Amino acid sequence: MSERELTYGEAVKEAIAEEMRRDPRVFLIGEDVAEAGHPFKTLVGLVQEFGTQRIIDTPISEPGYAGIGVGAAMTGMRPIVDVMFGDFITLTMDQMVNQAAKAHYMSGGKIKVPIVFRTTLGATRRSAAQHSQSLHAWVSHVPGLKVALPSGPYEAKGLMKTAIRDDSPVVIFEDKMMYRVKGPVPAEDYTIPFGVAEVKRAGTDVTIVATSSMVTVALGAAKMLEEIGISAEVIDPRTTWPLDKQRLIESAKKTSRAIVVDEGYERYGTTAEIASVIAEGAFYHLDAPVKRIGAMDVPVPFSPVLEDLTVPTEKSVFEAAKTLCRKA
Amino acid sequence: MPTNIIMPALELAQESGKVVHWLKRPGDAVQKGEPIVEIETDKVTVEIEAPASGVLRDVTAREGDVVPVGQTIAVILAVGEVGAGASAPAVMPAANAAATGAVPTPPVAVNASAGAVKASPLARKIAEQHGVDLARVTTASGRIEKADVLAYVESQKAPSAGDGRAGRLVAASPKARRLAAERGLDISALRGSGPGGAVLTVDVSAAGRPAAAAPAAAQSVRPVGAPGVGTVWRIMAERMTTSWTTAPHFYLVREVNVSRLVSWLDKARKQTGAHITYTDLLVKLVAAALLQHPRVNASWKDGTILQNADINVGLAVAIDDGLVVPVIHRADTLRLAEIAARREDVVSRAQAGKLRPADIQGGGFTISNLGMYGVDAFSAIVNPPQAAILAVGRIADRVVALNGQPAVQPTMVLTLSCDHRALDGARGAQFLGALAELIEEPLALLV
Repeated sequence: MSERELTYGEAVKEAIAEEMRRDPRVFLIGEDVAEAGHPFKTLVGLVQEFGTQRIIDTPISEPGYAGIGVGAAMTGMRPIVDVMFGDFITLTMDQMVNQAAKAHYMSGGKIKVPIVFRTTLGATRRSAAQHSQSLHAWVSHVPGLKVALPSGPYEAKGLMKTAIRDDSPVVIFEDKMMYRVKGPVPAEDYTIPFGVAEVKRAGTDVTIVATSSMVTVALGAAKMLEEIGISAEVIDPRTTWPLDKQRLIESAKKTSRAIVVDEGYERYGTTAEIASVIAEGAFYHLDAPVKRIGAMDVPVPFSPVLEDLTVPTEKSVFEAAKTLCRKA
Repeated sequence: MPTNIIMPALELAQESGKVVHWLKRPGDAVQKGEPIVEIETDKVTVEIEAPASGVLRDVTAREGDVVPVGQTIAVILAVGEVGAGASAPAVMPAANAAATGAVPTPPVAVNASAGAVKASPLARKIAEQHGVDLARVTTASGRIEKADVLAYVESQKAPSAGDGRAGRLVAASPKARRLAAERGLDISALRGSGPGGAVLTVDVSAAGRPAAAAPAAAQSVRPVGAPGVGTVWRIMAERMTTSWTTAPHFYLVREVNVSRLVSWLDKARKQTGAHITYTDLLVKLVAAALLQHPRVNASWKDGTILQNADINVGLAVAIDDGLVVPVIHRADTLRLAEIAARREDVVSRAQAGKLRPADIQGGGFTISNLGMYGVDAFSAIVNPPQAAILAVGRIADRVVALNGQPAVQPTMVLTLSCDHRALDGARGAQFLGALAELIEEPLALLV
């Protein structure tokens, strides 16, 4: 593999650009995506290469352009609909949930909706309660949608390319705090299959299942745990649907203990689903209850001090693992 | 059939007990009714008597072990009988606790607040159908529900079923359970190191290994209280903290002339020939004052004031381990010599650590006397759930104003600490006034 490094943001852009070069049906539509290059600067240069016919700026009108995207997908295009903040999927829910997710099934398979909803998650950007949520659990709940959560630059490129090539609607959540994170990204064409979890770090004492940026947090906690003699295995499911249940269960069976870390609200969240998958699948191999760590169940505060308290940290994961392993 | 000796439930909310001392060794012959082991609960240390005659075997609880209520700690085998092994499973807290004979049957007349059985209507109906005496059903919450009655019924059936295995599900992690089953180990016989005594994988592994490792694991199990602090002290600390942080206290102070009390003591000693103390006189007078002012003989509970049916006066007694409050029940009905005899009995047993649960239950009011330590006056903390406690200072000659002239009289300072949720200043003052009058003129008892 090439040792070339890209930022998370560059990896996303490279994936989109490569796919647009490969397939003329691919286009991107959203707010501030063309001249502005996206508020997070992830799309800078694309409009220069592909023109305003394929990198389309819209008014502030999420429901409208999401609907345009669904319609375009039904009629043979492969749109990427850019929803700047994940919080705004509240506005595109009907297009995602009742239209995109259902059309293939309700048409007896005659209609395909190969659309990508590209959006963000993650707190601690000091963006307050309406721009800091991680709402991926909402769409993970709906049959007919696939949901990807890239945890680093390599995943950002590979999962985006898979999403664009998939014939089903895919919602891809990028962590807005990770755009400047660098990591090795192959220059050559590659994709990451959906529904395949990756063991980021092998261990024997406790399994930490982590999503998106929480993978970095979990790896940091694993390092701390190593110093006190606890060997943690860190697994990134990469997609919440399809979900690689088998690999998660196998890991929990091996270690007898599991922690699930995710930046969505803890209650009724991604952590609950994954924890129950593990509890059901690995029950007779568990030596402790499965522990969930999600974001605090509060509207994300604007105050930096308070906001930082709402998200899982290396320390909180470390402490939870320590307790679970009964090393007080 | 072997007779199980189980950790008895001596109190309503008791979850575990500590084995203090085995009076008999494995292999010893025991007679039914003979004390065989000393058990310490949160409140008292009691001797448990042999529920049957035979030979003591399979002692699974070591001295110092804290054991959940209902768990078998040993068995008694009839002569010629062969033991089932150390793994005799544990069941039936309520039923067997009664069977050991260690639990005194509840007194017929008990405090309304303490003695009344709280049961749901459905529980009562089911109890009636099964002929269950609800007083014998114990629950952690103190409230009896349908499930508790059914569990009791089940527990009654269990012994005749042979292995007595029904009842309590041993807490264990799923993995520990599976491993124990795979290795043919009885999980109920394993000592759990997990939360709430749950058996974990490590415990199963330890059990699988021979000898050496086991005692070490046993030592690490849940200590009672911090090092150096006994159960009595810990309970005192907890109860006083509860009282101080939940009961709003106020204090009423009154100096009383004890000239008559002093001469009454002399006479009483001569008449009865008994060793009567000021405390005994105060118990008698407090009981009389409580009779006149029943509102002081009460408790604040769940937003309401519960009136005690009987006049049960507790005495704060200092012992090596801390503070205990044995109760002189129905003190208003006792003659002075009876009060003295009862007081002598419970105080000496308190100091010997031999109080029984019944000795400390049902108190409605407490007297704390530090006069013998030379204390002039002090403010006590209310002994929950009671409404008030009387702090008694020493008797001393003090200068008082009498008809515009200084005079010297023997006096005593009484401080009544009250829980303001159950009492107000006026009611407390009326009670203290009545008590003061009785102390200053004990003859009023006669009218």
